[in-house]
Amino acid sequence: MLLKKLFRTLWRYKAQFISMIIMVALGVGVFLGFNVEWYSLEVNTGEIYKATGFADFRIYSDKGFTVEDLEAVKAIDGVEDATRFLSMDVSVQGDTDTLALAVSENMKVSGILLMEGEEYNPEDTEGFWLSDSYAKANGIRVGDPLTLSYQAITVSGKVKGLVKSSEFLICLPEGTNQMMPDYSSYGYVYISPAMLDRAVPAVLRMITGEMYHQINVKSSLDKAAFVEAVDRALGTTRLVLAKEDTISWAEARGEVEEGKTMASILPVLFLAIAILTMVTTMHRITASEKTQIGTLKALGFRDRRILVHYSAYALCIGILGTLLGIGIGYWLGWFIMNPDGAMATYIDMPSWTLHAPAFTWIVIIAINLFLTLIGFLSVRKMLSGTAADALRPYTPKRMKHLRFEETKGFKKLGFGTKWNLRDCVRHKARSFMTLFGVLGCMVLLVGGLGMKDTMDAFLNVFYEQAINYKTRVNLDTEHVTADEAKQLAEELRGDWSASRAVQIGDKGYSLEIYSLKHDKVRFADTDMKIIPLEDGGAYICSRIAKEYRLGIGDTISFAPYDSTEHYTVPVAGVLDSMTEGIFMTEGFAEKIGIPFTVSSIYTDETEIPENGKILNKQSKQSIMDSFDTFMDLMNKMIWLLVAAAVILGIVVLYNLGVMSYTERYREMATLKVVGFKDSKIGRLLISQNLWLTAVGTVLGAAAGYAVLRYLLEALAAEYELKLVLGPVTWIVSILVTFGVSLLVGILVARKNRHIDMVAALKTEE
Amino acid sequence: MAIVEFRDVSRVYRNGDHEQRALDHVNLSLEEGKFIVVLGPSGAGKSTLLNLLGGLDSPTEGTILVNGKDISTLTPNELAEYRAASVGFVFQSYNLIPTLTVVENVALVKEIAPNPLGSHDMLKAVGLEDHIHQFPSELSGGEQQRVSIARALAKNPHILLCDEPTGALDSETGVMVLKLLLSMARDLGKTIIIVTHNQNIAKMADVVIRVKNGKIRSCEEQEHPLSVEEVDW
Repeated sequence: MLLKKLFRTLWRYKAQFISMIIMVALGVGVFLGFNVEWYSLEVNTGEIYKATGFADFRIYSDKGFTVEDLEAVKAIDGVEDATRFLSMDVSVQGDTDTLALAVSENMKVSGILLMEGEEYNPEDTEGFWLSDSYAKANGIRVGDPLTLSYQAITVSGKVKGLVKSSEFLICLPEGTNQMMPDYSSYGYVYISPAMLDRAVPAVLRMITGEMYHQINVKSSLDKAAFVEAVDRALGTTRLVLAKEDTISWAEARGEVEEGKTMASILPVLFLAIAILTMVTTMHRITASEKTQIGTLKALGFRDRRILVHYSAYALCIGILGTLLGIGIGYWLGWFIMNPDGAMATYIDMPSWTLHAPAFTWIVIIAINLFLTLIGFLSVRKMLSGTAADALRPYTPKRMKHLRFEETKGFKKLGFGTKWNLRDCVRHKARSFMTLFGVLGCMVLLVGGLGMKDTMDAFLNVFYEQAINYKTRVNLDTEHVTADEAKQLAEELRGDWSASRAVQIGDKGYSLEIYSLKHDKVRFADTDMKIIPLEDGGAYICSRIAKEYRLGIGDTISFAPYDSTEHYTVPVAGVLDSMTEGIFMTEGFAEKIGIPFTVSSIYTDETEIPENGKILNKQSKQSIMDSFDTFMDLMNKMIWLLVAAAVILGIVVLYNLGVMSYTERYREMATLKVVGFKDSKIGRLLISQNLWLTAVGTVLGAAAGYAVLRYLLEALAAEYELKLVLGPVTWIVSILVTFGVSLLVGILVARKNRHIDMVAALKTEE
Repeated sequence: MAIVEFRDVSRVYRNGDHEQRALDHVNLSLEEGKFIVVLGPSGAGKSTLLNLLGGLDSPTEGTILVNGKDISTLTPNELAEYRAASVGFVFQSYNLIPTLTVVENVALVKEIAPNPLGSHDMLKAVGLEDHIHQFPSELSGGEQQRVSIARALAKNPHILLCDEPTGALDSETGVMVLKLLLSMARDLGKTIIIVTHNQNIAKMADVVIRVKNGKIRSCEEQEHPLSVEEVDW
């Protein structure tokens, strides 16, 4: 019989129960979804790293490595395996595309994963193992012919396999500002060492020198010990990058960390609101059920049975909400992490399975237990005392005068204002929850739209303003002299830059030297203002400034790889930059005597004549196109956040509005009998909602700003972002929040028409 | 002059196939300034009659005229205006707003009534001038009902409608409240209609209407109504 009562009571309070179920579902869903996102990424990237034997270290040399060098590295204690590796950009013949051509002597270290076609064969002299994503974007199939060229060398063959590679997990062309992979124009291809030998015969190698400029190493040593051992084994300082320094690892880890950060903010907000909604609503429901609880007790039902019965409501809500939430969570995870989804445009993984970390299940079970406990405690309070006590209807708190009532201003207030003010104070939990709901809505809107503003400003400065050229021409540094490069730059009326790998302590950075006569490249300071580079010192990015606590006027020491020189220079400025590095003018570089080779030219020319010294060209448009993909991804997330904000606002405010309406039903019936019109009573209800919304909006604006700041701090290792919140964001956030509040207020106020004055006033107070 | 006229008024409640005729072709005419008591057992239709007259409900058939104006066809908003201007209510369960003080509960009517009386004056008249800043929950039942009377009369209505006004009070307090209600209403020249099943109250009335099964069984004028003190409570 009690089971029947359970279902009927669920039906009677359906608005409240549905609200609670939705809030629990949203809380669990967002919590699970965000955790599924980062954890699935961690698991799936982990799988490809493992399956391909992703190298722990990469040793670089401009002169290339001999077989003896490789053997010396392999002989280091703690080195499990190693391979000589080559990666260079080559052109696709008959197309403008570029491919990173990769050759490894030992595919057990940073190898490939076959997705379609023939297994990789190290002896094959005419087979290409092509990136499957590049193949898909360009309509290439297994068996199709392919010809690649590098200067005068061409190599032809057939696509024998479509593959994925952990080395190219995030496939971005080197030395460009491209943010997102663009497989329609850039990919990678593996060939065997045998095919490389065929393409570059021994005679030619006598001129080119050693082809393999990289050794990839599997080792459990830490970086400092490994670097020391390598320097000892090879007899000179080499640029060594740990896997943590590679794009494939660092960017994927960055995404995981970003996901973890997001999972530590938004879900907490949703879960807190779900739990608070549950506490407030369960308390109200058991309060209005008090006489029924008393009746059951008076009839002889044991307290334990009544407790179990009412706790079952909370458990039902928890279970239904959790089941829905698990669906939402996995959908959210899938939305971001699917082979055609947002993340797939960035990370090229073979497997997109969804995984939830074990702790999420523990938290979800704990939440359900906690929700049940809320139901249990709510009814236990009603059961304390005798059956006669329990039979008495629940009496709300007695009204007390508030301190501010003594003020003249309060006395002048209209009755509606006084009524609403006292009601807010009398029902503190309900008012607090309304504030919290509005605050949550505002935080999501300010956070989401503010992130877009920040990224827009970032992209505008770094790409629209800082990139003041139409084409970037990358030179073949091994075959171009300084004079040739500078002459070509003059012919193209362009600026040029040189790049060197340097280390500060044991960490590797890039040193960029610029000649900026034509204003083709610009730099922004930490206030996102474009500033000129001057000859007075070096400029550092804000990540370096933060890590080494450096400011203008301090000095910074660095050492180029492959060199025994150390340079100590004054810091002339701190820049917000896409690349983590040190920047200086040509004039300053010459002053301190650091050698360099010009590697890129920046020009407004779009038709660049073919030249043996040119490695490849990249148009500004192709860079801008990759932002569109990035912004698409971002916009999707922002729309999700806005939708979540609106749902959260509507559900929380509607639930509380209905609660407030139920609690004040009798008062409104009285006003109606006295002669108040429905519209006037409605305005009273709406105005209370709007006051709380105003306060919640102010608090939410501050909280949203704080959350955005926290997010940007968390992202600081990846992007040098300056928080920007545009007026449109504020206006939209405030309008949407007030719009939601007004909509809910109107929905609740419409119920006034159905107040049964006679029935309401006949009931006992 | 008739202040209230019921012309062939019926009120039928329908619940699925079930039909309940709460008032059945009632015809009634009530004079201004009289003290009228409506008597009848539970479910007789006396509260329905009061609700229709008070504009809380509308008849299914017939016409109700108050001061010559037909209120049976008014829209919800017009009914609200009618309640604000023409009728005052006193209920068994006081129905005060718990979040407003005594004086604010009475002053509330200023927001809607066209010719309200002073709230402080009304509270002084009901003897609550020392309690004006208290909340209803700080008052006794009798005091709360006095606030309710002050509020009803502060609207300066033509008719005061009371539904079991002493029903929730002990007999001593009930007599006191009734005495106050009658003296104030008479001083202000109001028509009072009290719905009750208490026969003693009927002894004080100018007119006694008896209702049963939704019909008016009798409508008698009493030539010599008793005063509150003369009734054996």
